Amino acid sequence: MTLFRLHQLLVQPKFGSAGRQVIANNFVWEVLPVRNRASFLVPAALMAVVIGCEQPQARFELTERTKDLMSPARTAVADAVEENFGTPNDLVAWLRSPTRYGDNTGHVAGGDGTVSADSFPAEFDEPVASDLSGAALRFTSGKYQGQQVPVGQFDADAGQLVLGAVLDPPVEQDTQFQVVGDVLQHGRMLYMTHCMHCHGVSGDGEGPTAQYLDPRPREYRLGIYKFTSTKQTDKASTDDLQRTVKQGIPGTYMPSFMLLKDDELAAVVEYVRFLSIRGEFEKKLVDELYGDYSTAAVNDRLESGESEDEIESQLTAYIQDDLPSTVDFASSDLASSWTNADTEAAVVVPEKSRVPDTLESRKRGRALYVSDRTKCVTCHGPKGRGNGSATNDYWKVPGSNETYDSRGLHDLWGNKLSPRDLTRGIYRGGRRPIDLYRRVYAGIKGTPMPAFGGTVLKDDEIWDLVNYVMSIPFESEQPSPGNEQLAVTVSDQPR
Amino acid sequence: MAKSWCIFFIFWPTLALAVCWMAPAWGWWFPGDAASTLGARIDDLFYLILIIVSVVFVGTHVGLAYVLWRGSSFNEPKALFTHGSHNLEVIWTIVPSGILLFIALYQMDVWADYRVQSAFPPEAVRAPVAEVTARQFEWRIRYPAPGKTLQLTPQPDDLYTVNDLHIPVGRPVMIQLRSDDVQHSFFVPMLRVKQDAVPGLVIPIWFDSVRSDTYELLCAELCGWGHYKMKARVVAQSDANFKSYLAELHREQFDDGVPSAATESSEAAETASKSE
Repeated sequence: MTLFRLHQLLVQPKFGSAGRQVIANNFVWEVLPVRNRASFLVPAALMAVVIGCEQPQARFELTERTKDLMSPARTAVADAVEENFGTPNDLVAWLRSPTRYGDNTGHVAGGDGTVSADSFPAEFDEPVASDLSGAALRFTSGKYQGQQVPVGQFDADAGQLVLGAVLDPPVEQDTQFQVVGDVLQHGRMLYMTHCMHCHGVSGDGEGPTAQYLDPRPREYRLGIYKFTSTKQTDKASTDDLQRTVKQGIPGTYMPSFMLLKDDELAAVVEYVRFLSIRGEFEKKLVDELYGDYSTAAVNDRLESGESEDEIESQLTAYIQDDLPSTVDFASSDLASSWTNADTEAAVVVPEKSRVPDTLESRKRGRALYVSDRTKCVTCHGPKGRGNGSATNDYWKVPGSNETYDSRGLHDLWGNKLSPRDLTRGIYRGGRRPIDLYRRVYAGIKGTPMPAFGGTVLKDDEIWDLVNYVMSIPFESEQPSPGNEQLAVTVSDQPR
Repeated sequence: MAKSWCIFFIFWPTLALAVCWMAPAWGWWFPGDAASTLGARIDDLFYLILIIVSVVFVGTHVGLAYVLWRGSSFNEPKALFTHGSHNLEVIWTIVPSGILLFIALYQMDVWADYRVQSAFPPEAVRAPVAEVTARQFEWRIRYPAPGKTLQLTPQPDDLYTVNDLHIPVGRPVMIQLRSDDVQHSFFVPMLRVKQDAVPGLVIPIWFDSVRSDTYELLCAELCGWGHYKMKARVVAQSDANFKSYLAELHREQFDDGVPSAATESSEAAETASKSE
């Protein structure tokens, strides 16, 4: 702890520009230049024995598409992303982004505690939920107004707040302040402990254990999640992500984190949303530049007679004149879409309650299942085994004329995907009737599972389909009485 | 010099004894008293063995220390050489055998109650409370629908949870333990229950909780890279609370997302069950 604070003394607090706050650093070992190997190695070995080995420095990776841009464009994107989101050890609270960073207001209290250069008794307007270590404190009144210092730690019982910097002269009583970023900081700690090894530091789904997993861990950076309660065009809501973390995803490697406390769950999901928003922001900037400045595009342009200087000067002009408005547009777009996902309007709620689960309802559902209106059979197969004829087709890559290299369905992340085997009774997005209703109504985002709600199927029909699907695991091999007709219509013969 | 070596060698067993003596006070001991009836009997066995072993350990070391101490003064007459003693050998064979035989017979009851299925409490066997399936890296739990008995295969009205096992307090309960993938081990330290989950087997285990409390459920068999994540909780609660928990679970699991209708249908179900 002493080391942590000593280091913090050396950190020059950054003063965020408009609307930005740098959430203070965690303790980082700076790598010293090596002049004399022996004189370095011996103390290093001793230190390794005493404090353990150094962790590799965590950093946010750029996407492959960003790396494919020509160098000034790449730098511009990287800078814009880092300016607004920071690095894993130096997170930035960009107040235009719809992330709940954690915001506590309070003032310097009088009473028993003593005010010193690096600590003071603090009284918060609301009880502080999580650990404040590493959050950013900004004074909103008094002689340090507008200035920012990192929080070393806050002892909630004693009410004493220790700063990660020295203020000389000390703050005065009743100075107002704001502490920002505690939730995100807390979320980052939990994410690094529980999630990072699969989902990766940047949320790219490429953590060290990811390569052993099938299905692959979710990549957050497209901002798309499969199992949501929201409409087809909406993002995942915070509740959806919390439910996924809490319940796990059966049939995959995503385990349940049931035992996380409520504030931990909220914090870790907030960090996941932060990573998603960061990734999407990067993608939006790259989308603007990719058509003209990717390696392939630049080569084409060079071949068609443009000179390198022309391209570069165009790019410089673009970065100066248009990039700021792209950043504005991207941020307001993200803010509205992610905020909207948490509103009631985004949630899929059936208008009618579930149709009673009778044999007739299941038969109607079965008829829909094999009908041309839904075409469920093409992917999920005549008996729901997930072996429909479409699993033998070459599918087109969305947004292009090319097909995938391998047969079968693929998701938006490029992974091969099997249609769900409905006979197993394992439902990744949850087994409640409402979960299945939402899968049918809004589809599964990022996958070929289409949305049937509102357009193709009416409420009653979706419920019939849900009743049928929920009965599939319990179907006997022989067709049930009255069901022979259906059994004859579609045979399960291998093709 | 010889005396100081004596003291050096006497010091270590003395230290070992002192540390063991102090261990409970330092918290290096069981995680609290056993919270199950069988657990208390297992603890009693443990203490019995600990006492026997301590007496032997202390006795042996006092003897060794005495010999060492006397031998370190050079005033003793020269020792005699004997080539074995039949009587002594008989004694030090029969006495430990007797002790081992006593332990083997004495613990049989507890072992049988814990492991032999015909000795399981009949009320626990009649209605297993849940099926617990270990998988990498979580515990998936399947309860029978309220008022029904657990079947070996999933039923349409079964209730599912993950990492959260609820049991009624104060009476023996049985669970069916299985594994979805590799070998795991169902371990609730406070209840002194530990049983491997073996792929392909359904292993019944019974336990009880003497008080309403929440216990840790851990995996005690290294099962893969996420072994450390495999932590769940066991909640022992009163019969009434357990019933209402299952009812709540039932409501949640058959939720059709229409708020008013959900409450209506559950009320309708209640009136239906009353009229039956």
